[in-house]
Amino acid sequence: MAIQTANSWRAAAWRGVTAVLRGVAVCWRTALRCVVGLTLVAAAAALPPTRGIAIIYPEVGEPYRSVFASIIEGIEEQIGSHVPSIAIGANPIPKEIAGELRRQNIRVVIALGRNGLKLAVGLERDIGVVAGGVLSIPEAEARNISVLSLAPAPGLLFARLQIFMPAAKRIFVVYDPKQNAWLMRLAKEAANARGLELVSYEASDLKSALRIYQDLFATADPRRDALWLPQDSSTVDEVSVLPLVLHEAWAHNLAFFSSSVAHVRRGALFSLYPNNVEIGHRLANLALGQMASNGQAGRGVMPLKELLLAVNVRTASHLGINLSDRQNFDLVFPEQ
Amino acid sequence: MQRIYFTILRAFFFLTWIGIAVAQPLEEEDLARAYGDKATVSIATGSRGDLRRAPAVATVITAEEIKAMGATDLDEVVETVPGVHVSHIPAFYTPTYGFRGIYSNPANSQVLLLQNGISVNSIYRSDKGQSWGGLPLENIARIEIIRGPGSALYGADAFAGVINIITKTAADTPGTEFGVRGGSFNTRNAWVQHGGKLGEVNVAAYLRVGSTNGSKEIISADAATRLDKLFGTHASLAPGAVSTGHDDVDASLDLGYGKWRLRAGYKLRNMELGAGMTSALDPVGKEKSERITTDVSWNDPQFARNWGLGFIGSYLQYSEDATNYNMYPPGARFPTGIFPNGMIGSPGRWERQARVSGYATYSGFANHSLRLGLGHEDLDLYKVRTRKNFLLNTAGIPVPTGAVIDYSSIQPHLLPHRRTNDYYYAQDEWNFARDWMLTAGLRRDSFSDFGATTNPRLALVWDASLDLTAKLLYGQAFRAPSVLEQYGVNPVANGNPNLKPERIRTQEAALSWQPLKETQVNLSLFHYTMKDTIRAVPNAVAGTGSTYANSGKQNGHGAELELVWDVSRTLRLTGNIAWQRSKDEATDTDVGYVPHQHVYARADLHFAGNWLLSPQINWVADRKRAFGDARPELSDYTSVDMTLRTERDKGRWGFAVSIRNLFNAVILEPTLAPGTAIPNDLPQPGRSFYLQATRSY
Repeated sequence: MAIQTANSWRAAAWRGVTAVLRGVAVCWRTALRCVVGLTLVAAAAALPPTRGIAIIYPEVGEPYRSVFASIIEGIEEQIGSHVPSIAIGANPIPKEIAGELRRQNIRVVIALGRNGLKLAVGLERDIGVVAGGVLSIPEAEARNISVLSLAPAPGLLFARLQIFMPAAKRIFVVYDPKQNAWLMRLAKEAANARGLELVSYEASDLKSALRIYQDLFATADPRRDALWLPQDSSTVDEVSVLPLVLHEAWAHNLAFFSSSVAHVRRGALFSLYPNNVEIGHRLANLALGQMASNGQAGRGVMPLKELLLAVNVRTASHLGINLSDRQNFDLVFPEQ
Repeated sequence: MQRIYFTILRAFFFLTWIGIAVAQPLEEEDLARAYGDKATVSIATGSRGDLRRAPAVATVITAEEIKAMGATDLDEVVETVPGVHVSHIPAFYTPTYGFRGIYSNPANSQVLLLQNGISVNSIYRSDKGQSWGGLPLENIARIEIIRGPGSALYGADAFAGVINIITKTAADTPGTEFGVRGGSFNTRNAWVQHGGKLGEVNVAAYLRVGSTNGSKEIISADAATRLDKLFGTHASLAPGAVSTGHDDVDASLDLGYGKWRLRAGYKLRNMELGAGMTSALDPVGKEKSERITTDVSWNDPQFARNWGLGFIGSYLQYSEDATNYNMYPPGARFPTGIFPNGMIGSPGRWERQARVSGYATYSGFANHSLRLGLGHEDLDLYKVRTRKNFLLNTAGIPVPTGAVIDYSSIQPHLLPHRRTNDYYYAQDEWNFARDWMLTAGLRRDSFSDFGATTNPRLALVWDASLDLTAKLLYGQAFRAPSVLEQYGVNPVANGNPNLKPERIRTQEAALSWQPLKETQVNLSLFHYTMKDTIRAVPNAVAGTGSTYANSGKQNGHGAELELVWDVSRTLRLTGNIAWQRSKDEATDTDVGYVPHQHVYARADLHFAGNWLLSPQINWVADRKRAFGDARPELSDYTSVDMTLRTERDKGRWGFAVSIRNLFNAVILEPTLAPGTAIPNDLPQPGRSFYLQATRSY
């Protein structure tokens, strides 16, 4: 009798589950119409624009177009309304854009990408500028604007390194001071705060960078040392430096992490890469802050803290790292 | 012809040179350094994929690659996978995917087709459905194709291969896209897809309508021709054109809210009969197939420390509803009599499949990653209709009965059948030494009709160096008997409820090597042994037809070599060579049908002004005849396709022009041995042209 009751309960429960799923299946066409209809209605009845903030962004092809689309989505999400945006081509006419901004009473411009920033810095001084989607700009230019760089915050990179490699004590980095002096200042502070030693080498071209890397691999101790590859076009390239670093790091069992997610695909242990929607939120907050303070809010270049994690599990296995929190990774390489 | 090839080759190298010379725009430099190259950024900005080190030989084809190859249907993508060849059967010209020498006709039952990880196979024939009618690709984010067994994870029918189609989410389709495509055979398609947010809900929606008249290839002789010869009649419509037109509707909806996801899909096909249901030309018959799918899932990969949890419930409703198959044309004569209005049948089948499953992952043991799962399936072919103007006698010969009436209660073509399955599985990835990983998996399925089966999977992976990974794989898999094979009512091949599943054991060795920067070479070697293969076997009493039985054995071996070479930022070369030999143990002969050699190559060439030119070549060679088929071997063929694509106005407009089978190669796909029904095989389309335009907002 007990078995029969259990069976009948099981059958009834199963009937319930299938009835619900079936109901959803049968009704979904109507649901599809409603949702598509609502989406179109929502798009048509665009929310009133926020007065005073506009976005300038470059016209680029896919897949980078989606990067800017996601950042804009984040900005609008944070502000809670539609933000007027101006797409600019390779040769924009600054006068026309400035006139358009004046007509719309824009007080703060969120400039995305190199071209967006180039145009925005030439605007009248009474318009505040917040920039994103660029790696860095000359420090002299950054004095007047807030720039949210695409360079991951060194502190967050180091924190992730310590999770993977608790015994890490020293981090080597080779960089071009013209591009990354600002980032290295922050990196030194972040390393000190975490009980790490940042050993940085300046190099102005690939040849000198290669020599430093060769010396570095000869002396590094894989038990306590790690190597960091910044986004630095003078000292990192795909043809000479990256292959050398990949092979030598593998041969010496030296952990190396990178500020470029593509390097994880090639064999770097991990990278932190931009979370575009969150970047939008941050840029929106910076812009609102500038509005509230009449343009007196913080200026200068800031590293990115809105980040996702990419890990190469093959490299981790080679280094003997136990990836216990694998489910927290946003991207896992290799793909197969 | 040789001159044309040389001209094309010269043009290709010239364009290659132009492509290499083109510089990347400055604006993209920052983005490239932060996000990586275009391939990486596509992954990083799209939906999070289940990217893991598959303990299998697998190919992943992304939406970008699909665009580059100019493919508009799943068949065109599957053909590019090493070791896989797409053939066609007479009825509906339905595609059948032959993996590594494992071929089946008419059903394609040794291949499991998944959509977002859920089976869309019909249980009638254990395949994707006889009136399949193709699958468009606009809404597909990527296609994962596993060659080899997958039953240790996916259960039934993951036998010769698994095709998993991942549809686009809101992250993959930002904004709204409208598209139209038209071309040869009066082919017309229009679609709209949208990705965005509705409050907190991520929404992706897709709707497509299409139609084609299909290519009108000529069949010189058919099954009715054979009857005409026997009885001196003139009923056959051969020589005559095949009927491969169809009208299509496809739609999908994907809603994501936090850890919850609701997906729904709809696929409608109104199909013409190809070369006829019984290999006799039929310009009259039609079949409507309708597939409705829905699934609700919840996933929390960080449910608790070291634990991930998830569950999924899904439902599939599928029907095939025929209208007046003209199985033989008016005037066809049998020993039992004449069919003045033709031999007509209007069968129909309706099935529903409900599934629930759950999984847990645990990573708390050092160097181990565990995945445990269980589930329940309720697969119910609940309704069958058999309208016809004949009855089959004990030898399976049709006896004319006059008007078309419902014989469902007297002599149905199939009996309804319901089966349930309870299953559980476990898989552990054990990093037992530096650079060594052992993946061990086991799944047990308990079916209500044919019993239980347990299938293991072992994969030993060695990361030999930065550039080289070696894998050794072993797996067992099973193919569930289809309802047709269990409960079909047709003396020519009667159902047998006592059938056991087909079984396969596969050993594989694979090497993945990156000899140069941006060059990937993959080599896989395989050997398999199939047993209990289900075949129609003549009954003990002569003249009483045949019955399905577990009687066959087959083994095979082969190799596949793949190359992907990013020559420059503007040129990618992709290619593969596959070689296989498969033997029918019962007759000690080649299994036939499938190519012994298959070569595919494509160049993706970006050149000035945002243009992409992708020529591709496909060589299918050395297809033997099966045992008992005295026809000469099928000719090899080489087909060349060309796609030119561009995006204007920063990607808002997209245009593509494709030429398929550029040199009008004669392509024939084999008909079943002994070849008496359609002796000259199935002709495939010649040269065809397509134009496509998309507009994004």
